[in-house]
Amino acid sequence: MREMKKIQNRSVAFFAVLALVGLVYCSPALCAGEKVVKVGNIEPLSGPSAAVGQQGKNARDMAVEEINAAGGIKSLGGAKIEMIYADSESKPEKGVAEAERLINTEKVHVLTGCWNSSVTYPVTAVAERYGIPFIVPVSVADKITAQGFKTVFRIAAKDSWWTRDQFAFLKDMQKEFNTKLETVAFVYENGDWGKGFAEQWKKLAGEAGYKVVLDEPYPSSATDLSPVVQKIKRANPDVLLLTSNAADAILLTNTLAEYKVKPKAIIGSGGGHADPSFLQATGKNAQYLFDIVEWETDVNKPNAREINEKFKKKYGYNLAGESVDAYIAIYVLADALERAGSLDPKAIRDALAKTKLTTGPAMIAAYDAIEFDETGQNKQAALVIVQINDMGKGLERITVWPKNARRAGYTPVFPAPQK
Amino acid sequence: MIYVLEDLINGILMGSIYGLTALGLTLIFGVLKVINFAHGSMLMVGMYAAYWAVALTGVHPYLALVLVIPVMYLFGHAMQDIIIKPIFKAEKQVREPITVIIVTTGVWYILDNLSLLVFGPQYRTLQDNPLRGKMLEFGDIMISVPKLWGFAAAVATALAVYLFLQKTRMGRAIRATSLDREAASLMGINQYRIYNVAFGIGTATAGIAGVALVPFYNVFPSVGVLFDIKGFIIVVLGGLGSIGGALLGGMIVGVIESVGPQVMTATWTEAIVYALFLLVLFVKPSGLFGVKYDW
Repeated sequence: MREMKKIQNRSVAFFAVLALVGLVYCSPALCAGEKVVKVGNIEPLSGPSAAVGQQGKNARDMAVEEINAAGGIKSLGGAKIEMIYADSESKPEKGVAEAERLINTEKVHVLTGCWNSSVTYPVTAVAERYGIPFIVPVSVADKITAQGFKTVFRIAAKDSWWTRDQFAFLKDMQKEFNTKLETVAFVYENGDWGKGFAEQWKKLAGEAGYKVVLDEPYPSSATDLSPVVQKIKRANPDVLLLTSNAADAILLTNTLAEYKVKPKAIIGSGGGHADPSFLQATGKNAQYLFDIVEWETDVNKPNAREINEKFKKKYGYNLAGESVDAYIAIYVLADALERAGSLDPKAIRDALAKTKLTTGPAMIAAYDAIEFDETGQNKQAALVIVQINDMGKGLERITVWPKNARRAGYTPVFPAPQK
Repeated sequence: MIYVLEDLINGILMGSIYGLTALGLTLIFGVLKVINFAHGSMLMVGMYAAYWAVALTGVHPYLALVLVIPVMYLFGHAMQDIIIKPIFKAEKQVREPITVIIVTTGVWYILDNLSLLVFGPQYRTLQDNPLRGKMLEFGDIMISVPKLWGFAAAVATALAVYLFLQKTRMGRAIRATSLDREAASLMGINQYRIYNVAFGIGTATAGIAGVALVPFYNVFPSVGVLFDIKGFIIVVLGGLGSIGGALLGGMIVGVIESVGPQVMTATWTEAIVYALFLLVLFVKPSGLFGVKYDW
């Protein structure tokens, strides 16, 4: 013990001298190297949603690289952001364990994640308990920001807004194309996300007077979806609303085409339908499908095209909803750190709560600003609806709704051809 | 009523393909008395092998078998010989060495993550192949052509493996080893060579299952896990070690999955499959077609 004290004393003296020397000689850049903002990120890096987890990781890394290259967080003496990734495998219990580890062992200042709503939801409780700010780019389940927690901040629109916009879109399309839609079918993955959507759909369908002809949750791990497709075929709905992860979105789209099921409109809910490999894996079968997303490559925003080009060059595919929100999340964090000027989680949280971001790379989404309400939800999160179609350059996603965001010169194909 | 027939046919076809994916699992267990946790990953490797063979050459998917079967056989053979055999030798006294199970789990993780590294997390489908999206239509009944091919492949493979085990000298040696490895050794059978062959054949059937799946399914690094869980259920249903049992077990699961959703949601059929699995374990732990007494 005494030995230790001696060493401690000696090192204190050593550092005192060093600090003195530092005061005189050290260049700002050299001193800056000492402070690091540790950000813990929980993502599904393996398992069924590994693809989307990897996209989120790449987008975060690109943002961090840009921020660090531009001199880090200036109010913290140019502190660099350090990313620590943990794999949730899409499992809630794994996510919770990793959150505990990141907070207790890695001593992270901030958490982000976890893509799967079912993982994010229990992790919010861990973050709240330790008072660690938790930035949620895309987990959309309403309940994530409905617990009265002070540390959770969500960038994307919550699912009640997604479903609200899907039905607003249906209403607008009927008017614009003078086509009546009467029956709807709901087919969704049986996790938190799908079930959350379905609940909203039921309410909205009742209010709008649609007849629900099918309400079908299915396991996302299904290896054969033809039984579900048969049910859709026999129910013969005008509109098919889907909530799917990637593997099942692909399987469902291909199987629907095989069984020649052609509702007037099929509307996805982002997720698997927005996966960059979805179009490659479904090809023509996905033509005329509608999908609701927070971002599209043809979005009319400054920097959006350049940032997407840079991302595509680096990683080989386009940005998608998940990756855009992840990218934005890091810039929102950087902005809050600048204003907090401290690594104290509470100071960072308070700064995040006061966020009002209207400029910079974070503005590539269709959001007018980023501003959190008292529950931690980004008030300005907005959504667009796209249609998959071939405009002579292969299949692409074309923004069609809201009408003021529609790609110039494009007329949506609605209802889908019945041949 | 006609719908039930349509769903029944789909269930039998898809189920036979499940059975095919589980065939190697049951064979390897029957001989080595070891659950091969890497079986799903071997299926994944088989699917990628089939995918690339067809995507790069543009041949009919089933022509890829010419390449996939030998490649997968050698892959399984080498894996057993290089990775698993030393563990077996180290645990000679144990009938069902747990360490081998742990090693196969390691192989599973390594293979899945390796393919994530090499092929990336993308989902791939064979877009332009003569089987994709083809349907036979008899009035209201639609039957998927690629699944029909898969059914034929499953039955043919099961029959071939069965005949091989019954009729050939090597087959008899494999059966002898699976019955009693010490006695077989005393009769001059080199048990490690038998293990290599059994592992090779098991892996080759996973390759055939890969070929049967790629014309209508998508390929991604963790695809094996989805079929793996089903594979375990099927193998227990049919009886561990039983070739015909795997095929019939697969069909039972397929029919439940296909007919069930017409009277309940697809989520429930999954629960029913697991309930049946438990029921079989309680009532007839050796499986529907398994041997009751295993020395």
